[in-house]
Amino acid sequence: MRDSTGTLDLSVIIPVGNRFSDPVELYAEYCAGLDATGRSYELIFVIDGPREKFSGPLMKAVDGRQSVTVVSLTRPFGEATAIMAGFEQASGRVILTLPAYFQIDAGELPTLLGALERCDLAVARRWPRAGGWFERLRRGAFHGLLRAVTGLQYRDLGCGARAFDRRVLEEIQLYGDQHRFLPVLADRRGFRVAEIDIRQSPKDRHQGVYEPRVYARGFLDIFTVFFLVRFTKKPLRFFGMIGVSLFALGALLVTWLVVERLFFGQGLTQRPALLLSTLLVVLGLQLFAIGLLGELIIFTHARQVRDYQIDRVLSYRNEN
Amino acid sequence: MSLQPDLSVIVPFYNEEESIAAMHAAIVEAVEPLGISFEMVFVDDGSRDRTLEVADGIARKDDRVRVVKFRRNYGQTPAMAAGIEQAHGRVLVTMDGDLQNDPKDIEHFLAKIDEGHDIVVGWRFNRQDKLISRKIPSKIANWLIGRVTRVPIKDNGCSLKAYRGALIKQIPLYNEMHRFIPAMASIAGPRIAEIKVRHHARQFGKSKYGLSRIYKVLLDLMVIKTVASFTARPLLWFSMLATPLILVGSLAVGWALWRWAATEAGMSLPVAGTGVLLLTSAFILVCGGVLGELIYRSGDVREQDFSRLTGTVWSNRPHA
Repeated sequence: MRDSTGTLDLSVIIPVGNRFSDPVELYAEYCAGLDATGRSYELIFVIDGPREKFSGPLMKAVDGRQSVTVVSLTRPFGEATAIMAGFEQASGRVILTLPAYFQIDAGELPTLLGALERCDLAVARRWPRAGGWFERLRRGAFHGLLRAVTGLQYRDLGCGARAFDRRVLEEIQLYGDQHRFLPVLADRRGFRVAEIDIRQSPKDRHQGVYEPRVYARGFLDIFTVFFLVRFTKKPLRFFGMIGVSLFALGALLVTWLVVERLFFGQGLTQRPALLLSTLLVVLGLQLFAIGLLGELIIFTHARQVRDYQIDRVLSYRNEN
Repeated sequence: MSLQPDLSVIVPFYNEEESIAAMHAAIVEAVEPLGISFEMVFVDDGSRDRTLEVADGIARKDDRVRVVKFRRNYGQTPAMAAGIEQAHGRVLVTMDGDLQNDPKDIEHFLAKIDEGHDIVVGWRFNRQDKLISRKIPSKIANWLIGRVTRVPIKDNGCSLKAYRGALIKQIPLYNEMHRFIPAMASIAGPRIAEIKVRHHARQFGKSKYGLSRIYKVLLDLMVIKTVASFTARPLLWFSMLATPLILVGSLAVGWALWRWAATEAGMSLPVAGTGVLLLTSAFILVCGGVLGELIYRSGDVREQDFSRLTGTVWSNRPHA
């Protein structure tokens, strides 16, 4: 880990996953765009799994004009982990993540970085945007769902270009597929987040329809964010509510069965309803127990769970 | 920290640019004659006016002042909690930033702490606020909180409170629990005293905080009460939950087996199924209890630690 209080303005982290464009072309275009910002910068490529087709030509193309670091991971760990691995090597005051393929017009990078004067995290939105009706529908559904869940309106979380203060990643440990939801997580930590319109790269061509697996995963991601945002701090309120309602429903059914058995001579031995009602009671109890366990986790780790964020402390005391 | 001050005065400010200098002067005037070392922690709760600049100016001139800046507006009680987190004093006093509390009362609070109390809360017996919109709701709320937490305090809403630093810094204040710090601290069994304080009408600005969302917090408090008593022995609790299931389940299975073996009626599927379901569920609950033990062991907030905060040791053993 390098000294984090370096003099560098900008660290650019480029995670290289499954999908990547020609490295030489990409490198040249990004460098041109970054040079136009007039800031000192370094490039950090994180090769997520062995991808010689990318790293080989890249290392040959690198000239001595700017500092380039290539972090190679032995197997694919996912984009979030790749970004964190790159961040460990980063020494710039501002971090910029860029996709390893053409998504945005690199000539607009100054606009994206300039937005940081008004906010802590600027996420690019490709606009105007190419794409057919199916693409638009898919995007609309994803972001609409996300908005319903978090109350935050974003329009292009699939874009990998994000510029932010390095404090954002110092505080937020990304894992799994959370890179896409970095704006949501940052907003939740009290950072100011803005979405900036950036021209789409003419080379950003979508290969049409994805596999169904990809869509299912996107949906599950939103589900995860829903829990992260809403219930990680209050598990008992969530699980306890569902648990208690199921328990109550089951208990009512059992009472009804018992009353019928005692007063109307309706035998229990041939009644499948007995099984159903017991199942409900038991399920309610189990859910409640899970809620209690969740609450126990929060309680015993309360020192790490704070619902306020201190920006800075001003003190002029001579500490000697 | 080299030297621990005797007293930390914690004051949250939210858009109080007019009050802050007067507040600082009043505190200094009230505390300096007491002849103790003290510090002031001013928390800027994401103010949009010049509060931060004014506070910064004061801190530059008076090095006993530290200013904690929030990233955004979080509310009064998180501000208090942040101040408590950042304060170093042996005794911590919290008060409002709007000049409605009188720093001259601090003297009496310190006397009470020296008498051996862990928490001293103020009671605004001649409250200078509107009757219908402020006083009556607060009476009802205080009565409710007293009933639920069994910590009868006449005036939970009074910000002027004093805490023994070593105790309050150990209490987990998460999930808006800092709203009722005395109730939360009651899991450590503190000695609480209540004293009358002066209350002035507002001089500057408008009232910014009210007692809101009482019912939510009461729910949370009940959860915490449960969890606090449950944390130290999760396996016992879960086993107790499982006991009735084991009893009824064994009975049902036993009866079904007996009926199958001893009579011609055959196996009753609903009854046998119910029994097996109950026994399985009990087994899972006990497993949950084991998980709970694991969580408790790995956590860093434990019930047992609270005993050291308030307990005293008497011994006739000579000091080694």
